[in-house]
Formats: sequence, C-alpha cells, structure tokens
Amino acid sequence: MFKSIFPTLGRFRLFIQIFMLLLTVYGSNVVGFYMAEKISNALPALSCAFDQQNSAYCVLIPTQHQLHHRVGEAIVKAQQFTFQMVLPLLFTLLTFFTFFVVLSKVFCGWICPLGTIQELINKLGRRLNLPLRRFENGSVSKVRPVKWLMLIVLVLALPLLAGLGVTPHATGDAYCQVCPSRLATTLLTANTDQMAIRTGSSLDFAFGAIANTLFGFMLVAAFAVRQPFCRICPMLSFNATFQRLSPMRLVKKQHDKCDKCGICAKACPMDIHEIAREHGTKAFHEDCTLCGRCVEFCPDDGVIQMKWGPLTLFGSSREYYKQRMKGEMPDGTVKIAAALRKPESGAENA
Amino acid sequence: MQRFINLILSATLALACTFVMAEGRPANGRPAGTLATTESVRQHDQHDHAPAQAAESAGNPAAASQDKRQAREWTKYPLITPMMGRGGDRAVAKLAVKNLQPAELEVFAAEGPDDRLRRQFPVTPEGTRIEAVAPKIGNYHWVSAREETEGKVTVASTAAYFSNPGEAPTALLLKQKSELEIIPQPLPREHGSYRESDKWQFMLRFNGQPLANKELKLETEFGTKTAFTSDEKGMVTVLFPLDFKPADPAKAHDQHMGPRKGKFVLAAEHDEGGKHYLTAFNYAYSPDATTGKNLMAGAGFGVFGMLLAAPLLRRKKVDKKNSAKES
Repeated sequence: MFKSIFPTLGRFRLFIQIFMLLLTVYGSNVVGFYMAEKISNALPALSCAFDQQNSAYCVLIPTQHQLHHRVGEAIVKAQQFTFQMVLPLLFTLLTFFTFFVVLSKVFCGWICPLGTIQELINKLGRRLNLPLRRFENGSVSKVRPVKWLMLIVLVLALPLLAGLGVTPHATGDAYCQVCPSRLATTLLTANTDQMAIRTGSSLDFAFGAIANTLFGFMLVAAFAVRQPFCRICPMLSFNATFQRLSPMRLVKKQHDKCDKCGICAKACPMDIHEIAREHGTKAFHEDCTLCGRCVEFCPDDGVIQMKWGPLTLFGSSREYYKQRMKGEMPDGTVKIAAALRKPESGAENA
Repeated sequence: MQRFINLILSATLALACTFVMAEGRPANGRPAGTLATTESVRQHDQHDHAPAQAAESAGNPAAASQDKRQAREWTKYPLITPMMGRGGDRAVAKLAVKNLQPAELEVFAAEGPDDRLRRQFPVTPEGTRIEAVAPKIGNYHWVSAREETEGKVTVASTAAYFSNPGEAPTALLLKQKSELEIIPQPLPREHGSYRESDKWQFMLRFNGQPLANKELKLETEFGTKTAFTSDEKGMVTVLFPLDFKPADPAKAHDQHMGPRKGKFVLAAEHDEGGKHYLTAFNYAYSPDATTGKNLMAGAGFGVFGMLLAAPLLRRKKVDKKNSAKES
C-alpha cells in the first residue's frame, strides 16, 4: 500500500515537503493562533514568524532576539551577567536541539518551506526544459563560506551589537530583514505587508531593497539553479554546526566504482562533489540537507545510506536505481524533457 | 549582452523614478502607491473627528491647547491604560484607571498556582502595580475593574502582556469574568497588534450567553466614534478606522517599541433584571500596515532581482550549436 502511493523516496519526500509547506505557512488553523500554541518557537527550518498564519517560528528569530535584547543589553548592565542572560538563549538552543537531535538536517531537505518552494520552482524549470546551471568544484567552494558569514554577521554579530548599542536598533533582527522566506511565506498568505519597504530610515530602506532583490533573484534563479538560496542560508550553517551531534546522518562506504561514476554528485541539489570522492564522515558534508537524492541515484547496493543511529532508514540499491531512472535523470530532468534536448549530464551520457 | 545590460539599467531608472514619485503623498497621509480597501477608505470618510484636529489646523494655539486636553479625555467610557515605570521588570505592569472609581483591579491568568489565577490589586492614585501570575510565567493576563452602584454595574477590561513564556489565552478569554463581557476573538498574537483597516472579531456575552443584535460602540483617541452590531452568535466584526494623524513616516515604526500606538475602547450596554450593565474593553491599535512603507518600491526591487537572475535562464551558445548540429 505504502509503496504503491510512494514508489520512490523522492515521491515520499515531495509529499512531506508539500504537507510541511502547508503546515508551516497556514498551520495556525490547526495548532493555534498564539505563540504559545505553535509547534515550536525554535524550529530548525525557515518557518517565518512574520507569516500571521504559521504554525512554528524558526530558531533564528529567538536567537537574534535574545542576542539583541537579553545578551547585548545584559552585557551593558554588567551586573546582570548571570543566568538571567544565558538561560533564555540556552533554552532556545535546547528546544532547537530537541528537534534537531531527532531529524538533524532533514529540516532543511524535507521541512523548510523556502527549500520546498525553490525545489518546486526548479522542478518546473526542468519541465519547461530550461537550462540547468551547476556549480562546479571551484565555484561551489567560493559560495560555501557565504552561509557562515550570513550566520556570523547577520544572525549573531549584528543583533548582539544592536543590543550593546553599537549598531542601530534595526540590526537587531538583521537576518530576518533580508530573509526571502519572510517574503515568500507571507505572500503565500496573500499578505503584501512584508513586500512593502519601510521608508523611514536609509537603513530600513537598504534592508528592504536587499531583501526584495534577493527574493526576486531567488525566484528566477531557482528555475535554473537548484536550491539557490539554501547555499547561503544561515540555517544551513546553524544546522551544520550541530550535524555531528545527531544520530541522523548520511553514511557512505568506500567503493571502487565511485571515482568513475559520480552520479550521486550529479543528483545532489547542493552540488556536493565530495559525495562522489569521499567516504565515511567526510561524505556527510556541511552542505548536505539529507534530501536523500544521492542515495536514490547511487547504482550500487548499500554504498550510500541514510541512517538514524544503528538503523538504516534508506539505502542505495541497483534495483531501486533502475526504477528511479525511468522517470527522472539524476539532475532532476524529467525523461520527456530530456528527450527534447541534447543530454548535458554524465548520467544522461552514460 | 549589451541589450540585456541596457534593459537592467532602464529598469533601475524606472524603479528610481517610481520610488521618487511614490514619495509624494496625498493629504490624508496614506503613502501613494499603497493598497487600501475601498471599505476602509469609506469607513474613514464617514467618521467624526475630534475637534482638536480642527483647532490645530485652524492655527489657534490656545484653542488647540484646550482641545488637546479634551482629546486626552477622548472617551466617557472607563479605561485601564498602561503607565510608564515598571522598572524594566518583565513580570510587572503599571496601570491607570480612568472614568471609573474601582477599589481594586482584578487580574486573571491562564496558568499558574490555583490561588493566583485570580488576584486583586488595590487601585492607587499614582497607578496600580500588577504582577504576572509568577515571575517566569508571562503571556496575556486579563485585567478588569468593577464599579457597582445602585442599579448600575460598570466594568472596564483590558489585556496585559508579560513577555515571558506562558499559556495561550484562548481558554482564559472564554472563561466568564463578569456579567456583560466583550471578548476578543482572538487577541493580537505576540508581537502583533490591532491595526487601522484591519477587521477583528469580538464576542458579546451576558452571563455566558451570546448577545445577538446588540450595538458595540468603538471610540478611538483620534476622535472616531462608530458602532457595530452583533450577529446571532454574539460575534461582532470590528473594522478599525483609518484615523491616525498623518505622522512623519519615519516615526510610524519606532525601532524599539514597534509601530506607533493609539488607544481605542469598545463598549456595550445592556439592561436586565432592573440593572443597567456597561462594559468596556480598551487596548491599543497601530497605523495601517502600509504607513511608512512603499509597496511599489518593494515590488520594484523584486523585479530588479528577477532581472539580475534572468541571464541564468538563457542557453549557452554551446547548447545552441549542439542543438543546431542535432537538427
């Protein structure tokens, strides 16, 4: 029964993604209206608090808020440098970690509403036979540090500096000011409030201009580039910081054919080339979103596996690979669209 | 490629022009190029406004000063309003009672020890200091003041928000706290607010039963006086008027306190058993979501971002050559 509804992991993931997109964007009707009724106030996915119909808040909001209002202001009042300052932040991290320890970066690959939106747009791009732009080895390594910069500067440093009174108050939630999920999820509820740019100060205006430009860029880029914003998302680096602490992980065994094959790297929406070259812990890269595509498209039995502790949740197999390749190429191109143009990927040439 | 660069430059120029044009705002203070429902605009046009605004515009300082005092006393209905001076304590609020002489304020909490779920705080002339149910339990608390004279019961209510975590006020709101009640359904979410031109629902009840076809009056500190009628289930949909003065858009959103706030009161009256009941719920509301914002500029930058990404959708020449060879 389950297999007839979800013949592939990809189909199952798409179902979860769409379900979670609906739940995170419109879920207040199910879980409740007030903050206290949300699934969590520290969800490891970009579930935006600016969306008035949401069902959860993303962990980056309380992190910025506490660095701004609690830590920063408490450091100023040095005598309050106590548990009063540290505990709320620890509590947020613990709440986040309660979720994260169970599912790890599954929150990025399966639950994040912005990730789902980008993936759906890219699927449309593949069906429209638009070109697919991949990050090659050199270029991807230039993009990767950006997500750490986003985390350190926008999520941690600027809110803390705002709390200390060094930077303007508007920087207290600097990341939220530029987050495309804020625009995407509110627009999905037919709310244009967040699309409008504040004109009160030049900093407000600059933040709004950057956010909207980034959002517009992401929407169009997603037709040609897989997960364009995920690559620089601070939630990815936030989750990457803790990914080794969760029992949920990607495991790859060493195999002779891996050097020549490389299909798993082509299947990876984050262009992690290391997945083809490396094995062991190095294969579970900081950019991995645990989407499972590399496992699906690995043509050898048991070489790549998604595991939770000792349990193998899903492992690669030749039979599954053959079935998966019937409908879709590793790069996401559907077979009908692929037949209309010259093959580009290694998988298509193979 | 040159043509594409020209296109981007033209779009940027058009965007800049749009923004400059949108900066010019009409007399009613609503930024040009922003959305407004025709209903809210019509509602705005129909409202009475306090004489203070007229006096100010007439340029008579003495009259303006007197009218400003009158404007501060903008309603005859009882109010419970927040005061400054809680000393930065998250579990404390200081409240003033106006147009009513109650002996105490009653504070209802959604969770906490049973003996603290309903507490009384004596009213003092310098303001009544109330506390959250426990130092680490926050969220909404319901506050009410009651005055009972022969044949008349008057109740003022408001909600106080303490910014520590605490249970949602859903059940607290529905719990009966007095005879005649105005119950927000719901209260604004944390970090949210009632806003101009927003519609919010309130329930009218008497002794726990819905009151149908009853008038609910709305008065705001900016002079609006209007009324709405409850349906068969006692529900009233209140449309908040567009009546904030055309403020400096830079001050529409205070960076620390959030949107600028105005006061409003909802009041209902009911006679039963030879007694006259008057109940009022007061709280704060904020300017319309578009005040101090520019949607056109936002959309413009969104389109600009799309144009920047557009080259990614073009096929490389190699692809074209390959396609040609194929054909």
